[in-house]
Amino acid sequence: MIQLKDISKIYGKDGQQVRALDNANITIEKGEFVAIVGASGSGKSTMMNILGMLDRPTSGEYYLENKEISTLTDDELAKIRNKKIGFVFQKFHLLPKTTAIENVELPLIYSNRKDIRKLAVNALAKVGLSNRGKHRTNELSGGQQQRVAIARALVNEPEVILGDEPTGNLDSKSGLEVVEVFQELNRSGKTIILITHSGEVAEHANRIIRIHDGKITEDYKVEKPLDARTELAELKKVIN
Amino acid sequence: MNKYKIIESSFRILRRNKLNTFFMILGIVIGIAALSLTFSLGKSAEKQLTQKVKNLFNPNNILITSGRVELESGRSSESSMTNLKIEDIEMIVNEVHGITMYDVIQTTPERDVIFGNKNISTAINGGMAEGEIVWRRSVASGEYFSKADEKSSARVALIGTKIVKKLFEGSDPVGSQIRIGAVPFTVKGVLEERGIDPHGTDLDMNVIVPITTLMNRLMNVNYIAGAKLEVEDASKTEEIAGKITSVLRERHSLNNNETNDFSIVTPVVVKEIIGKMNRVFTLFLPLISGIALVVGGVVIVVIMLMSVSRRVSEIGLRKALGARSQEIMFQFLVEAAVVSLFGGIIGLTIGLLGAGVFMSSMGLTFYIPWQTILFGILFPIMIGVLAGIIPARKAAKMDPIEALS
Ligand SMILES: Nc1ncnc2c1ncn2[C@@H]1O[C@H](COP(=O)(O)OP(=O)(O)OP(=O)(O)O)[C@@H](O)[C@H]1O
Ligand SMILES: [Mg+2]
Repeated sequence: MIQLKDISKIYGKDGQQVRALDNANITIEKGEFVAIVGASGSGKSTMMNILGMLDRPTSGEYYLENKEISTLTDDELAKIRNKKIGFVFQKFHLLPKTTAIENVELPLIYSNRKDIRKLAVNALAKVGLSNRGKHRTNELSGGQQQRVAIARALVNEPEVILGDEPTGNLDSKSGLEVVEVFQELNRSGKTIILITHSGEVAEHANRIIRIHDGKITEDYKVEKPLDARTELAELKKVIN
Repeated sequence: MNKYKIIESSFRILRRNKLNTFFMILGIVIGIAALSLTFSLGKSAEKQLTQKVKNLFNPNNILITSGRVELESGRSSESSMTNLKIEDIEMIVNEVHGITMYDVIQTTPERDVIFGNKNISTAINGGMAEGEIVWRRSVASGEYFSKADEKSSARVALIGTKIVKKLFEGSDPVGSQIRIGAVPFTVKGVLEERGIDPHGTDLDMNVIVPITTLMNRLMNVNYIAGAKLEVEDASKTEEIAGKITSVLRERHSLNNNETNDFSIVTPVVVKEIIGKMNRVFTLFLPLISGIALVVGGVVIVVIMLMSVSRRVSEIGLRKALGARSQEIMFQFLVEAAVVSLFGGIIGLTIGLLGAGVFMSSMGLTFYIPWQTILFGILFPIMIGVLAGIIPARKAAKMDPIEALS
């Protein structure tokens, strides 16, 4: 599905260059749940931007469904992002003074899809926020806001969902709820790429890729991923 | 792209950023209000001026006035105001062919017009019996004074409707005795209602007496202020004006190096004057208000640039979610156009209302020139879109990662 070959990203001019990514090679198959982990400054966000086609690598090749994308224009990339990738950001990036449903509709505005409102309502239902559609985003809790953002990411039915520290701004329970939604989406066939520096969050994925100073240092399968749903159920028991 | 949804979201954004929207609209409102106010005032004034001048001055009319009138300033030099005589005009009519009729003019400063214990103060005009035709004056009741009245310096007067209202309070003035200053007059007729002339003179305050009576009994002068001539063939007025000039110069024994001590106004000259006034009304005034509109445009540019900077993350997000540059541009241009259209409509309404109130307070009829409506709607949209281009391009060029980080 996605194949990165010798991808490097260099910031800055000669003398004080930063190699944010250094000859990274990754292949991600359809239906995988991959966590990308690493310390602060290791190059995770850079990786996310390149995977998400928001940025172009300095060198290397990016194949999406066996098609090299480096020759495409910015507008062509925008169309591909719109169709194939759903983004979830650490800071939610919802539009202020705007209702949840209007936020979820946003990717559809730039697509050719019809019945925009209906699709948005369905997406909100998938993240358990059917009754919050008319609420403005500032009236929602952090966890709810992130779930609106997830609904927005999946409303156009992309094949890949990319999350950059989606749990970073949330308390552990809300974070777990978000991870639960990701696992649910993965079960329904979506490819998930989750960037996080939390080892615990990463343990919910099927595969972990570790980055250090822009290099991939580890890439392994998780034998027994944690299940967010059972963890949440246990958490409930403890509280009661 | 779903244009309808983008337009809808533009409206939403404008609605939810009320202060920004308010100032952008205000900028356009002021510009368009000023523009439509001055333009429609100018057009109305122009139309009425042209109409009134046409009433007073036909293509076959020539006006001779004593003193040299500077067209630019409208001043006349004092020294030569006493040089023009009735005999001059009589001689012109005898020597220059093609003049069919004429009337001479002289006017007093304000005098008291008294009836019983009521009085009103107004300027008194003198003219000949032919004035009835030459000036297209008619009497609503009674009759115009005759050639015989003129010959005998009869103490008869024609009075305007406002004078009648003030002095007679409804009773029939024809035949009544009035006094002008100390001199008794008989009211021979009431002039038809005429309104206000282009100089702002209220023609219904007019009092007209025979020219001889005015010169001999009221003013004691031997000169006139001017004369209005009618020529047979309108195409010959310029030619005749030239001949009149040479006759008058000879009669006044002017050397080649002396300027005329009179002025001759022909339809060509009148057209020039009207043209000049029209340029003031419909070019100069709107130009000034056009500047106000440009300022409105600049306000939009500035506020929208600020709004683009404030909405970096919104723009980055839209791009990340799949908006192409042109779709981002479209959104900002729609916002600018919507704001300007609203501003335009409000400004147009205010401007036209203002012009209407102004005109009616001046007692003038107001009409709405179609150009105002058209420009009032199209112009602001144009300005808005133009003003929106800079911010919209800035937004469209934005790099989504920088915008999102
Ligand atoms: N636009 C940029 N210009 C220059 N250097 C940059 C830029 N973006 C990132 N870097 C550098 O590249 C390296 C990798 O940054 P990146 O943001 O990918 O790290 P990260 O793993 O996401 O860190 P964190 O966990 O703190 O978010 C860092 O050293 C950072 O300083
Ligand atoms: Mg990061």
